[in-house]
Amino acid sequence: MIVHEVLVVGGGLAGLMAALSISDKTDAAVLSKIYPTRSHSGAAQGGFNAVLGRNDSIEAHVFDTVKGSDYLGDQDAIEVLCSDGPEIILELEKMGVPWTRSADGGLAQRSLGGAGFPRACFAADFSGHVVLHTLYEQVLRRGVKIYPERHLLELLVEDERVAGALVYDLASARIDVIRAKQVILATGGYGRAFLKTTNAHANTGDGMAIAYRAGAVLSDMEFVQFHPTTLYGTNILVSEAARGEGGYLVNTEGERFMARYAPGKMELAPRDVVSRAIFKEIKDGRGFNGHYIHLDLTHLGEALVADRLPQVRDLAIRYAGVDPARMPMPIEPAQHYSMGGVRTDILGETTVSGLLAAGEVANVSVHGANRLGGNSLLETVVFGRRAGKRAEDLAKNQPWPHLSAGTVTRALERWEVALSPRSGARGTGDSTFDIRRELTSLMTDQVGVFRIGSELEDAVARIRELQVRYRRLPPSYGVQPFNYALIDYLEVGYLLELSELIAAGALARTESRGAHYRLDYPQRDDEMWLHHTFARLRDGCPEFSSGQVKITRYEPRERGY
Amino acid sequence: MEIALSICRFDPEKDSGPFFQEYKVTVKSTQTVLDALMLAWQQDPSLSFRRSCRSAICGSCAMRINSRPALACQTLIAKATEDGETIVLEPLPHFRQLKDLVVDFDPFFESLKSAVPWIVLRNDYDGCMAPDIARELEDPATCILCGICRAECDDAGDIKPAGLIKTLRFARDPRDALGEHRLRLLEVPLEILRLFIRNLPEMCPKGITMREDVAGDVPDRDKGTKPA
Repeated sequence: MIVHEVLVVGGGLAGLMAALSISDKTDAAVLSKIYPTRSHSGAAQGGFNAVLGRNDSIEAHVFDTVKGSDYLGDQDAIEVLCSDGPEIILELEKMGVPWTRSADGGLAQRSLGGAGFPRACFAADFSGHVVLHTLYEQVLRRGVKIYPERHLLELLVEDERVAGALVYDLASARIDVIRAKQVILATGGYGRAFLKTTNAHANTGDGMAIAYRAGAVLSDMEFVQFHPTTLYGTNILVSEAARGEGGYLVNTEGERFMARYAPGKMELAPRDVVSRAIFKEIKDGRGFNGHYIHLDLTHLGEALVADRLPQVRDLAIRYAGVDPARMPMPIEPAQHYSMGGVRTDILGETTVSGLLAAGEVANVSVHGANRLGGNSLLETVVFGRRAGKRAEDLAKNQPWPHLSAGTVTRALERWEVALSPRSGARGTGDSTFDIRRELTSLMTDQVGVFRIGSELEDAVARIRELQVRYRRLPPSYGVQPFNYALIDYLEVGYLLELSELIAAGALARTESRGAHYRLDYPQRDDEMWLHHTFARLRDGCPEFSSGQVKITRYEPRERGY
Repeated sequence: MEIALSICRFDPEKDSGPFFQEYKVTVKSTQTVLDALMLAWQQDPSLSFRRSCRSAICGSCAMRINSRPALACQTLIAKATEDGETIVLEPLPHFRQLKDLVVDFDPFFESLKSAVPWIVLRNDYDGCMAPDIARELEDPATCILCGICRAECDDAGDIKPAGLIKTLRFARDPRDALGEHRLRLLEVPLEILRLFIRNLPEMCPKGITMREDVAGDVPDRDKGTKPA
């Protein structure tokens, strides 16, 4: 049996920051389904919001975030996010992050959507990548134990508290028991529930679903962010920085159509507003070939594109065959981020004792109904650090939680059965690939930017049918080294479970707020719906309830850009 | 278009040695080798290969494609089929094959540690850095630790490419207290270092470019400007 006082699950920004904030006096380890430097945090391009400019203020950052969240964000958490930002950015600077600089030698900042000030610190358009690698360097410096290519299977719960985890080792095909006093989830989002997504293959909501199975409350799962600008066809991300640096969104008539949707902010309106505008243009017949619109950077000049957006340029040349310095890029919105997640307080604690969460897997809730660009990277480091510190504090003052041999044996036996190829079930012609394909198409087609009651109802019913089909399927090839089919089997299970919560939450919420837009309920309804959607597993089924939104300073107002 | 993938298979638990297996898949020429592999995997779920970001930033899918180490997600079908409709996929050379296209990366990540792969902050660093110096740190900082430069070097045992790029990047960082001393710590002859830097843009999937004149040409940190 492996023993660590604190077990961090996930090796992206939030996980590594959590591990680094735990002192040498506490034994912590990081577990990751891929090598930490392969984490999807590395694909983040635009930047980290933090108030550094003399004319900017924490209050302004708080207000922009609250308004961006369509007033569903918890304002106490948002105040933490914005107040901790500047200090943590400078801390990252001392760790060696190669930030892009302004002429005076300080950190350069750029404008991202929904912000009243150029507030995002960045390193060209590799912002997530360079910080991920810098944190990895620091983890090496500290000698933190890393378990790569290990998959969390289950949180071991005894006496209603987490006492450890079952972990599947991809290389040895062994199930290990890890005892821990505190477990921090930093496993990211579930983007792969959608056919059209910017997310990596690894982003399958593992931690969210496993926490849910362990009894944790998930919150606001119906709020899914669709990024306005992804390369048409592949849905590879084109950073909001492309618009922050001055890019235009243009329809077939050569019009900068955002003038009709958000005359104040134009292309730098928040993502929910821009994604809806793009789909509306396409629906009204002003999309190219009926499917996409243009993101035009040609007026910015080759030097600026090469200097500030080198990755965007490479990606567009390779995957869309277009050099954005010379030709407009074909773009369409696609799933990008999960506002919802495992409910936590501002210290990172979930509703299950011994379990914390930070980053995209968590819902603290700083993004409410819509996240602003530059706030998720900030969230990973601010709340990753808080979760690490809190976990250490808790672990220091607590005895080892009880974990009985019976609990461990029962869990191991259950997984042994679950992961064995069962005889007779093959040959039905069904497969996880088919189920995944149907699920992801359904989510993109019916649980996307524009939603409507009848389609959501149908989506919930069909997801439940897919769940039934899934339960009849055996895993492929059983327990063998590097059996990715087995991982696929596990992942499809997580996606099905979370998709039901997303679609059912969207069906229940009969209003439009932030990224959740109902064609049949196009108005925000504060009287009925100014609250969080909580979901927890009870007797094998989701049980929904509502949670209060914390409003400290900014009463809900109409949101216009 | 229909293409064939000839994939090096090996399962140490069953096979006496590696062998090639052919898969036919239908893809567009603008798709990638990774897209083709994902289709082959759906025909044969026992096939093992790493992948994640599919946009050349995570470094998971490095493999040998038609005899050259490359990222599967960065290699377009059009390019991979220039010389014929069969794409040959093998594990990265100079790495131990664990199963099919999956190789042992632990020694590679372990090799990083010999290079002091973190910044050692100068006491007198004041938080300022000239933009052109910062700009120069950017290129080596795009290293994705994919292992391709290691796979390209037949005699890389001594120079440990993963740590080398970090070393060169920190050696130029005005925040770093070790600075050019890092080059001495490497114990790699300067000639070999220069050769590595010269060949890097060609083999690196991120096209990392660094100045060849590594020694004695570290930024003058007191002024925060590049030497003439």
